[in-house]
Amino acid sequence: MTELIPTPEVVSTPDRVVLVPGALALLPAYAAQRDPLGALRTAALTAVTALPAEVDVIATPQGARVAEHLLAATAGARRGAGRGLLVVGNGSAKRTEKAPGHLDERAHAFDDAVRAWLHGDGEAPEAGLGEELWAEVDPLLAAAKLVSWAPARVAYDDDPYGVQYWVMTWDGLSPR
Amino acid sequence: MTLQLRRHQFADEDTLVMAIVNRTPDSFYDQGATWAEDKAFERVATVVGQGAEIVDIGGIKAAPGVEIDAAEEKSRVVDFVARVREAFPQVVISVDTWRAEVGDAVCRAGADVLNDAWGGADPELVDVAAAHDAAIICTHTGGVTPRTRPYRLEYDDVVRAAIDDTLAYAQRALDAGVKREAIVIDPAHDFGKNTFHSLEITRRLDEMVATGYPVLVSVSNKDFVGESLDRPVGERLIGTLAATTACALAGARIYRVHEVVETRMTVDMANTIAGRRLPALAIRGLQ
Repeated sequence: MTELIPTPEVVSTPDRVVLVPGALALLPAYAAQRDPLGALRTAALTAVTALPAEVDVIATPQGARVAEHLLAATAGARRGAGRGLLVVGNGSAKRTEKAPGHLDERAHAFDDAVRAWLHGDGEAPEAGLGEELWAEVDPLLAAAKLVSWAPARVAYDDDPYGVQYWVMTWDGLSPR
Repeated sequence: MTLQLRRHQFADEDTLVMAIVNRTPDSFYDQGATWAEDKAFERVATVVGQGAEIVDIGGIKAAPGVEIDAAEEKSRVVDFVARVREAFPQVVISVDTWRAEVGDAVCRAGADVLNDAWGGADPELVDVAAAHDAAIICTHTGGVTPRTRPYRLEYDDVVRAAIDDTLAYAQRALDAGVKREAIVIDPAHDFGKNTFHSLEITRRLDEMVATGYPVLVSVSNKDFVGESLDRPVGERLIGTLAATTACALAGARIYRVHEVVETRMTVDMANTIAGRRLPALAIRGLQ
């Protein structure tokens, strides 16, 4: 499994969970004149703004930078009580011929299964297949050790550059 | 620094394309193509459509030729400036003239910038700029008479001379009451310079930029490009754009050109490389 920050064991049971993708184009260091991820950014910022002030993060080291940026950008606006969890992960990066990892015909079925699992339906994705398909599912699997997924509110579900992104929010998930 | 071209203001990081519009029958590049007023007006509409921020209207070709007196020069440019002002209120209008009398008339007609390509040959031009709150472009020509070619001119240090002379000219403009942010300096490639001089000016343009004054460059299709590459007029675009890249990397702010689209793209690419401009869009590898 990919190294995660922090180790999931230290994260306490969250009142609200938000999932965002680890797209590096969300980082200010990679800003261009036009935002290639405008709709995703809006959805992610809106969802993260609705997290409580106190937020734990489960992410890869790169994903943690995306989380850090989104949390910093919403720092003054997050006022809710309780504890939030921000998970940074995404589906396959092999969904089209123009995708970073080119087209892998298993990608769509894999992402469909991940989506269903995130809504509390079906089996957890296999980490090895996720790695092959350039998906970032390890943080999702780690979060699933804390909480059981259930139907989520979906703010974004698309693959504009051949990478499957989700922005989802869950409230009051049952602890594992 | 912030540029104030009469009623038009530009931020520090803005680069500006100044399109050449000749109301002349004999300029070297277009050979009279826009001599007729309607042709010149079409040229203005075209370059504005292409995104030029400034049009530089000239009534006398730079090279030696038939004597054009002030009355004739005014007849070529004053009413034309008024027509452009009326049709394109958003565009900056520059007029390429060294004569105070012509400068005064075009400012009354709506010109924003006096582009004195001949380095202050008429000492009263700065007073005209100040009186109209217009901008002025201070060029270096090595002290030559307007409309003469360089002949055996040499400098101890051409860049030092260009800086000293343009700063002295800028000081005269300041003393006359022209605003600091309305003064631009121009090393004037090929004016009072041989090809080696123009190449050195290009190579060391950062020294002019370091003066703090916005720097204008006018390299478009000039002889130093032609001699460098052994290409006649009409085959100098690539060389022009390469020279433009060098100037842009050094930090030039205004580009006086014949080809607007190609120049804008070149300047933008160079400034993006230099880290002064963001890419238009960046997603490759960042999905």
